[in-house]
Amino acid sequence: MKELIDQISARLREQSIIVPDEEIEVRLKKLIDDFRVPEGEARRSVLNYFQKEHGVTPLARASSERVKISEIKEPGRWVDLKVKVVDLWEPATEAISQTGLVGDSSGVMKFVKWKKSELPDMLLGQSYSLKNAVTDEFQGRFSIKLNRTSQIEPLEEEVEARSISKRAQEMKVIEIDEPGVWVDLKVKVAQLWETNSDSISQSGLIGDETGSIKFVKWAKADLADLEEGKSYLLRNLVTDEFQGRFSVKLNRTSQIEPLDIDVQIGSQAAEFSGALVDVQKGSGLIKRCPVCKRSLAKGVCADHGKVDGTYDLRIKAVLDDGRRVQDVLINRETTERLVGLTLEEARMMAMEALDHEVVRSLIESKLVGRYFTITGPRVDRYLLVETVNEVMPVTESSVDELMSQAEAI
Amino acid sequence: MAGFSREVARRIFAEELKSSNYSFRDGEDQHQYAPQYLLTPTGAKCNRVFFVGVLTEKDDIGADVEYWRGRVVDPTGSLLIYAGQYQPEAAQILAGMDAPAFVSIVGKPNLYQTEDGNILISLRAESIQRVDEATRNQWIMDTARRTLERISILEKAEPAPLSSDFSTADRAFPATDQQDAARALEHYHTDIERYRRMVLRALTSLKADLSKSSAPGEERDAVRAAGDALKSAPDPLARPAEAEGEEGRQPPKRGRPKKGGSLDSWPEAGDEDEVETFNLGKKS
Repeated sequence: MKELIDQISARLREQSIIVPDEEIEVRLKKLIDDFRVPEGEARRSVLNYFQKEHGVTPLARASSERVKISEIKEPGRWVDLKVKVVDLWEPATEAISQTGLVGDSSGVMKFVKWKKSELPDMLLGQSYSLKNAVTDEFQGRFSIKLNRTSQIEPLEEEVEARSISKRAQEMKVIEIDEPGVWVDLKVKVAQLWETNSDSISQSGLIGDETGSIKFVKWAKADLADLEEGKSYLLRNLVTDEFQGRFSVKLNRTSQIEPLDIDVQIGSQAAEFSGALVDVQKGSGLIKRCPVCKRSLAKGVCADHGKVDGTYDLRIKAVLDDGRRVQDVLINRETTERLVGLTLEEARMMAMEALDHEVVRSLIESKLVGRYFTITGPRVDRYLLVETVNEVMPVTESSVDELMSQAEAI
Repeated sequence: MAGFSREVARRIFAEELKSSNYSFRDGEDQHQYAPQYLLTPTGAKCNRVFFVGVLTEKDDIGADVEYWRGRVVDPTGSLLIYAGQYQPEAAQILAGMDAPAFVSIVGKPNLYQTEDGNILISLRAESIQRVDEATRNQWIMDTARRTLERISILEKAEPAPLSSDFSTADRAFPATDQQDAARALEHYHTDIERYRRMVLRALTSLKADLSKSSAPGEERDAVRAAGDALKSAPDPLARPAEAEGEEGRQPPKRGRPKKGGSLDSWPEAGDEDEVETFNLGKKS
């Protein structure tokens, strides 16, 4: 409240209107406490009230106000800013013409410039005056949107942007629990994946002794390539989140330093109990590339072309406890034990049927619809299964216990 | 987008599933490919259901192509499941199965409104597998637990204000259990006590089952389980809901001993034609 009052009175002073704080407070309180008006609306209403009172006609674009980045605390406000462009990213959709970070002396914030705005592109490192931008919020984080009514004017003077790289802190993989944080990580590259977009130069899994996490290296970052199995100090990465899973992004401000030491990748054994509800495509009898061990699609490896694959048995399944789903990967040894079928028997079966899908059907008939408890390390979205056990049979006493719970509700 | 996440399979007893009549599409924009959900009276928002019970009957009701229908029974009632040419694996397994048998079904809830306004809920099976009695027991415990969880959220929930469904439609609001509960309360004016008793009934029947679990052989267990389920079905509390569903259609008696309502209510041939035309036409 105090903060709001100060902001309002400062704004009024700019227009040579002097109003006692108490008067501002009374009006604000009435709106916010008695009428549950959102703070932004209340503030606007109070400002307008005193401006009118003193015969000051609000500016033509009265709704947008000059603010500092740190003052942006709610969505849907029209603001004017003086900022410097400190980072630009590849837009995720065609509807966006530019996106990145802008900063002033109070902080940095993400901005999005819509294609439809038809505004000129901004340059990295250049300072601009942004007029009539609108603030937005997603999951508690604010951003600035530039649309058709917004204006961009290059500034002669340079805006001092609070340095973002200073905020990066050395962290362990397991500590990453929110998006938009700048971090340094000491990691080993566990896996490199196919990239499916030209804007990504590399992606895969990196890990330290506390766990593994997905990384993405943007093509625009213009950084050296990482090698599988090598350890690095990665500086100034930004964390990201999608549907509860975290990743780190290497962008133009990031740095890669090779390490002499070998970082050990640890993993926390996870446990999941639930019904096995699906055995997915790519389960059962598969062929792997003899070079990279990845599974082949119609005898073709994505990296090494047509190869003579080696047979393997594995299960990609989904466990479901009614609240969450968990993807699990079961290797050959465990599959053989669980299904009671050796790799050799599976091959014979497939040859006889002239169809390797019979193996998957058999696996389905043995596993789908049953309850299992599975343990193993979690890697990305998969749980790599080390132990599988059928859930213990229901006992009378456990039924009694649940019945007394039901009675108690 | 790489962001596909699989829908959780909800656990719901047959009685509750059949009392549901509220379905909607959800997603940021409500286009035709947005996922369809069924909201049940205790606030389970389901696009997918995992169900385990006893298959008591099955029939091929297709005209040109095979279209299989089965009736599956749990301790609270029975449910129709369907598998046709778009669920070939499930259809094939159902075709090869002998009733009675313990089965697990992963399927999508299907809501069909008859011309006279009755709403029928069935499951379109993604997968059907034969399971054992132990798995059926697990499922009853599992479903009882999940249902009790929803009930306790329901008890703390207040109906959502009338306008909220619409005013928030264009915002990416997190759909929490609490919101689902509020929405369910708003739509169904849920009689919480009825569903608490339903859970107790299911657990009582499971307990009775466990205590006399000496009959050998899966088949005999299956028959007995089905019988138990039928005996427990005509609970006075269950009647009002069934009257709203297909059971209210007064199907012909089939000369079975009057044990319970469920089996007697195998729908009339006439009704099924309507249901089937709809299912085949709609699903493609």
